[in-house]
Amino acid sequence: MMLNEGVRNLSQSFKCCSILFMFILVIAFSVGCSSETGTNESSSANETGAPNDHHAEQNDENGETAEESTDNGEIHIGVVGPMTGGFAVYGENVVRGVELALDEVDHQFDGREIVLHAEDSQADVEQLVTKLDSLKQRDGVDVIIGPSTGDEGEAAVQWAQNNQDILIMPGYSAPEDLTMREQTPNLIRAGWTDSQTIFHFGQFVTDELGYEKIIMVGQDYAFPWGQAAGFKRGFYENGGKEVYTIWHPTDTLDFSSILGEIQGLADEYDAVMYNGGGADAIAFYNGWEQYGMDQHYPQLLAGTNVADVPILSEISTHFEGVYSSMHYSEDLDHEENIKFRESYREKYGEEADAIVLQGYDTMKVILQALEQTGGETSDVEQLRETILSLEINDSPRGPFHFDEYGQAVQNIYIKETKVVDGQLQNEVVKTYEAVSQFGPYEGWEEEYMSQPPNARDFPADTAEEYFEHLAEYFGQDYIDELEANGGWAE
Amino acid sequence: MNQMTKNLIYTLGVIVLLAIPLIASDFLTTMIIRIMYYSLLAIGFAFLAGQLGLISLAIPAFMAVSGYTIGILETRGLLSFPFSVLAAMLMVLVIGAVFGIFVNRSQGIYFLMLTLILGQIVWAIVLQWASFTKGSSGIIGIEKPDIMKWRLGETEVGFYYILLVCFILIVLAVLALTRSSFGLKLKGIRESETRMKMLGYPVARLKWTAFMISAFISGTAGVFFVYYTGVMHPSSINLDSAAMVLIASIFGGVQSIIGAILGMSIIKTFEISLSGLTQRYLIIIGTMFLLVIIYAPKGLMGLIYKNKYMQSLYQHWYRGGKKDE
Amino acid sequence: MLLTLINGMTLAALLFIIAVGFNLSFSLLRVANLAHGAFYLFGGYIGLSMLNHLGSWWLALVIGGLCTAFLAFITEFFLLRKVRGDNLRETLVTLSVAIIVADLMIVVWGGNPKSIPYPEVLNGFVQLFNVTIPKYSVFILATSILIGLLIWLLLNKTKMGMVIRAGVDHFEMVSVLGTNIQRVFTGMFVLAGFLAGLAGVIGGSYLMMSPGEDWRILTYALLIIILGGMGSFGGSVVAAFIIGLIYSFGSVHVPEFQLFLMFTPVALVLIFRPKGLFGRGLA
Repeated sequence: MMLNEGVRNLSQSFKCCSILFMFILVIAFSVGCSSETGTNESSSANETGAPNDHHAEQNDENGETAEESTDNGEIHIGVVGPMTGGFAVYGENVVRGVELALDEVDHQFDGREIVLHAEDSQADVEQLVTKLDSLKQRDGVDVIIGPSTGDEGEAAVQWAQNNQDILIMPGYSAPEDLTMREQTPNLIRAGWTDSQTIFHFGQFVTDELGYEKIIMVGQDYAFPWGQAAGFKRGFYENGGKEVYTIWHPTDTLDFSSILGEIQGLADEYDAVMYNGGGADAIAFYNGWEQYGMDQHYPQLLAGTNVADVPILSEISTHFEGVYSSMHYSEDLDHEENIKFRESYREKYGEEADAIVLQGYDTMKVILQALEQTGGETSDVEQLRETILSLEINDSPRGPFHFDEYGQAVQNIYIKETKVVDGQLQNEVVKTYEAVSQFGPYEGWEEEYMSQPPNARDFPADTAEEYFEHLAEYFGQDYIDELEANGGWAE
Repeated sequence: MNQMTKNLIYTLGVIVLLAIPLIASDFLTTMIIRIMYYSLLAIGFAFLAGQLGLISLAIPAFMAVSGYTIGILETRGLLSFPFSVLAAMLMVLVIGAVFGIFVNRSQGIYFLMLTLILGQIVWAIVLQWASFTKGSSGIIGIEKPDIMKWRLGETEVGFYYILLVCFILIVLAVLALTRSSFGLKLKGIRESETRMKMLGYPVARLKWTAFMISAFISGTAGVFFVYYTGVMHPSSINLDSAAMVLIASIFGGVQSIIGAILGMSIIKTFEISLSGLTQRYLIIIGTMFLLVIIYAPKGLMGLIYKNKYMQSLYQHWYRGGKKDE
Repeated sequence: MLLTLINGMTLAALLFIIAVGFNLSFSLLRVANLAHGAFYLFGGYIGLSMLNHLGSWWLALVIGGLCTAFLAFITEFFLLRKVRGDNLRETLVTLSVAIIVADLMIVVWGGNPKSIPYPEVLNGFVQLFNVTIPKYSVFILATSILIGLLIWLLLNKTKMGMVIRAGVDHFEMVSVLGTNIQRVFTGMFVLAGFLAGLAGVIGGSYLMMSPGEDWRILTYALLIIILGGMGSFGGSVVAAFIIGLIYSFGSVHVPEFQLFLMFTPVALVLIFRPKGLFGRGLA
């Protein structure tokens, strides 16, 4: 009996020990990690509710730790994005771009080493939040570059709102609300928004190409929704009549059924636009070629991501003459772009694309801002003001600056694919200069933002319904003016 | 070891756990929070695998059910905090009950495949029904309820303590269940379903109840998951996540839920520490898992218990003091 | 309508090639080979590299198949044999193989989506009743019929086939009768790997290859096996057609519930007829 009791007690304590063991393991690990990098532990996770004077105090503390990090002489930059899985290219290329920019300055700023921490978000927002926490709390980074996909961006803005004491600059992430309806002072984007790049493409398609009814096939998630929205605005307001949208789930194996449906509609519609990216875009192109769709439609149009370099290298030269629009084109012939592409080719043996550019430019912006603040990163407000006042004239994409919401104002290029040396390449056919995230709606920002966020079925599929909504938010005057001008004023 | 030492160890353990958000770094606290809610998934898995010998790949599906219910109800302003959680858990129970009826007749690999497909159905719905679940954009902007934002001094501790209390309660409840006559009956079913049937036990009902319990635990994990991260995304509940729960639990050893918790802690720690060093950590985790499956089928806990003295402890522990005969 | 039908049949034909070997090895070895999707993708990537080096699509097809068969051999001979007898453990071994191979493939071939260019002969399309059908679809259909025929002959006209069929039904009996069942196991597993690799090259041209594709293909193959019934050759044919057609019509008419529609009939079959439509079921 006694023995039995003793064994039971032992077993109980063994259970406790195993739980304790587990936590000791965790503690040992995290101590190891934090002592390695000298974590800035003073910053608490949630500053938003704190009163102002406390905030100032916090800044002081941060200032102290920043001085400490001056002592060991390192600036920490975190990059987060998907590095594994189907979206890996979006994260990996941003990292490469950042490294390219750092190579130019020899990974040094003012004698201080710049240390890069790259974290994999697996294109999973839960992982993203984990990795953002790790970067901030474990590695104590000064600025975070990332994330890179649309859904990650939306989660990141939420995280940024809860962590006001660190600057976060999205990589390739494009939802417009990041710097619009949900904007937060510590998030600045040197990239693009989903609608910004495509407003004028809608105008171009109806004005210059003369199409009135088109079919749009797109991936069913936030980024293509935003693209569709921007396109429809430009398209309808300049005379377009209908955009018939077919949404398909991401990772559609096989487009033949959709292509079959489109084939049957050839008499009614003028052209087809593919609005998506990645593997789906390549699959769509392959199917298009296989089914001889050129017989039915003279023109293929593309969303911003579709005609980018990595996709053009995977599809056949059959696709010459595809129109698209973007804030960058690889054929821009100013010196910075040529140098940028050459040094990328030299380092990685591949062609640079817009994703690389995004990482590169973002890092350059940070470096320029550091120069002005003298390497100070702890005061986010000051950092923001510095960045917003920058005029960047040496970017491969052309000049850009920031608007008051923290979004880049930049040139938008209408591009056409051309075969150069047996390889597809984009060629700029038209340039719209200094386009802000509100595109043609500058001066109508309030009205624009009072509309519901872009969604799957907003704006509507036909011009008629679209103008009904427009009247509701912009007023009849705006529509009358449009009609008088015959579209947007140049 | 006498009663006093035992109590001392218990108290010490609880004090350490309670003090963690106050003394440890933010990073450590967030990591322990993550480990705890993922461990809930592992417990849900290990309860079925350990007691009934059934490998379920539908565990993250229940996390999805509760998470998405809360997400959809709250972001659309239909219900708010305490009620949304109630609705979510009710939903988990309903879906668990339906799935439970489906899987009741199957065992072995069939059970594994059926739960795989049921899990994939849930995943397919949240991924493709974009007008309802926002598809691959995911639901964002789910706010923690005020009670979870409770502060002690300057640190926000509400979430941690609520999770900790739930976690400990669930661990204790599951331990009690495994020692109860209900747990013994389940083990009987694991050994031989036909024998138990012959002996007159309501095998189908017992299995169904066990499945519901597992679903409930996984659903609880979903509640904490969605409030902590504030987002719900299809990639959190896909086949990869199901495989990760399976790997972590079996890695630690599903014979005991402590093993499953241990496994989940190790895998999550690995994931976070390795991903800073190399992007190819999945190879390392996969290889570790392979070695465990081949050389230590009962997991790390099994290895620990291999020691003869430990073995007797283990036997004693899981039979709740009753003699084997 | 007709086009959608043909598309569904093309996909069905591809899935049939993937599933039929899987099904036979599953019913014989009692192992749900969760690495089958990784094998498929592996074959496709090997085919792509071979095409880039050798320039011949047909050679790439054969080498892709053979390399995958070799990978399957390694898996079976060095790993599965160690845990033979415990089905669950065997399945878990294949799961870890799937994870390791999938990650290795990212290391070697990167994360960018890739596709294999078609051979010149199969480029283009034919017109049939006003409908444009790619030549490649015709090729896939023909190949799968050929492979189906060969396997049917193997099963029904050879001694090896007799052993396999007997093994599916009465596993212990065959081993008692003195056949070296281990060798038959290995052979079947390698054959399944070969077919997966072959399908990988064919599918890598028809569809896309990117990380994550392996899990999806695996899921579809599992759907077909469960729906058709374990060890049933005819069942695999019918189930592949059902799945292919649901996929193709679903993506046109109800894209939001396309996957749901694919999974639901399978779940129903599992619930009410766990042996599948045509399966004899496992003991």
